Amino acid sequence: MTTSPASPVAGGPNEPQPAPEKEQRFSAQAIAELEEIASHYPERKAACLPGLWIAQREYGGSLTPAAIQEVADRLGLSYAEVEGVATFYTMYNLRPRGKHHLEVCTCLTCAVKGAYDVVHKLEHELGVEVGGTTADGAFTLSEVECLDFCGAATVMQVGDKYFTNLTPDNVMELIETLRNSDDYTPAKLADAIVKIHIPGTSRTGGGSYKP
Amino acid sequence: MAILNLLFEHRDVPNIEEIDVYEQHGGYAGLRRAILLERQAVVDEIKTSGLRGRGGAGFPTWIKWNGLPKNYDKPHYVICNADEGEPGTYKDRELMLKLAHLLVEGMIIAGYATYSKKGYIYIRGEYVEPAWQVRKAIDQAYEKGYLGKNILGVEGFDYDLYIHLGAGSYECGEESALMSSLMGERGNPRLKAPHAPLPVVEGVWKAPTLINNVETYCAATWILAHSGAEYAKYGTEKSKGSKIMSVSGHIARPANYEIELGTPLMELIEIAGGVTGGQLKAVIPGGSSVQIVPAEQCPNVNLDYESCQANGTLLGSGGFMVLNDKTDIVLLMKRTAEFYMHESCGKCTPCREGTRWMYKILDRITSGGGQPGDIDLLLDICGQIDGRSYCGLGDAAAWPIVAAIKRFRPEFEYWIEHKRSPVGPGHVPPTPEVLNPLLTLTPA
Repeated sequence: MTTSPASPVAGGPNEPQPAPEKEQRFSAQAIAELEEIASHYPERKAACLPGLWIAQREYGGSLTPAAIQEVADRLGLSYAEVEGVATFYTMYNLRPRGKHHLEVCTCLTCAVKGAYDVVHKLEHELGVEVGGTTADGAFTLSEVECLDFCGAATVMQVGDKYFTNLTPDNVMELIETLRNSDDYTPAKLADAIVKIHIPGTSRTGGGSYKP
Repeated sequence: MAILNLLFEHRDVPNIEEIDVYEQHGGYAGLRRAILLERQAVVDEIKTSGLRGRGGAGFPTWIKWNGLPKNYDKPHYVICNADEGEPGTYKDRELMLKLAHLLVEGMIIAGYATYSKKGYIYIRGEYVEPAWQVRKAIDQAYEKGYLGKNILGVEGFDYDLYIHLGAGSYECGEESALMSSLMGERGNPRLKAPHAPLPVVEGVWKAPTLINNVETYCAATWILAHSGAEYAKYGTEKSKGSKIMSVSGHIARPANYEIELGTPLMELIEIAGGVTGGQLKAVIPGGSSVQIVPAEQCPNVNLDYESCQANGTLLGSGGFMVLNDKTDIVLLMKRTAEFYMHESCGKCTPCREGTRWMYKILDRITSGGGQPGDIDLLLDICGQIDGRSYCGLGDAAAWPIVAAIKRFRPEFEYWIEHKRSPVGPGHVPPTPEVLNPLLTLTPA
């Protein structure tokens, strides 16, 4: 029997990759958060986006296949459904990021106010191209579409904070401050977003936010 | 006609984000007045005010509020679209950061008027700082009894408010895509009226749904606190009240300005301190999706829905971008096309493929490889996207390019003929020496 090259058979050119190894990394607190958030909606599926945020935090800042599988299992969804969501939205990290993820807005207003000059400065100083991570793992540099704080162009998002009015002259000062900071990391961004869903957290804080 | 601070009246009061300070400045008076009225009378106040949706489309708000079933038989939902993503717009950010209670109060009023028991505020994932303020406002409103069961002693008025954050998608600011996203799916839009029922008939979870922008709910609070007639005193005949304009670009004092609808465009530039770095070249008055207005046409435009439309542009969401004469319109349009290419959700072929072709051609022109027929090819592609997708993203990708070609055609022709920018030596086509070969625009 012959099979077409595209058919997903073992040993063929389109052989499916092995199913992700099952992991259970959600802490008791994370499970409680997921259940609380799921109770806000008439359907559990609606907790898919917040569930992925919890996973992104629990798995250290990025979504591995195992993380996606765990969200699917806990919400009673298929792996494909959750993967489809995870790959649609740009803020879910499908690959690990540096300790700080520098997301420079280069959309219209920032571009006319010189955002690309900021990007070029960062590329030269950090020695990475857009999309890359520095060798020491400290920074990942990205370009993003409009962050919507155009009055303060150029804007850069780092974790759960916006830094504004950046120019090639002042951006490196900020980078040095970030280098020594444990705030504004991808995991803290995910934590802040999870906590904002949960009633009462404005009293306790989350991410880099302290009430 | 000029600055008109209705929503922004107490913006600069210290600690206005705390509920006690907000109450001292007339906060929750709108809700207290609303619950003394019949639910239909609340909708009628909105009708009298003439309020139109502030998210961009300008749809009369009261028609939505009036469209939901007027009983508690089946669940229905109130949604706030706080997925502000339009390039140039940052009004919702400031409203949520400083005046989150204005939004929360407006959503409670909407819940009362439409017999809803649950409301969701869908905030874009990047807006963590504004979202924390909304979280705080909701927590404080629960403590004061403005949310929960039997609100303010009204028997059977139970209402809960939840926050739902996005995760990075411009498309989710489109209402049907937002509802998909709220239900835990990819942010794809759905078939819309007249081919499918309106959200007020069948929206999120197939239930009747009211969906409005942040600024619209904030305006509803003001209207209930004062009156619809009071609101209707401001503005023009068909565009009532105030609008927050987010001024950015080559301008001395970029900020959010709340103006009376009908204010001349040039007056807003003056209020914001005038153009910097050169002479005025063009204005994009309503966010990246609307048509660019050349300087010579600017004095004819008043900032209201009708005047903008008469001048071949739109008021949109109020993202007011000012551009000086050192701006290269072709490079700007290439960047605009890149934005829509990135944000197209991929559902409809004309938009998914067309935005890519648009970008490729503009990239070719601005890399020095433009060909004589490229302008007509661009127009042809735009014509094949406009009106051929489920949601407005395809239209919004085509409109600015078509308008730019119509109004700045010589610049496109210059690029194709001379293979460089018509604007000046500061604008270079990408070269291998530039580490990351992208457009370089001279900062003001």
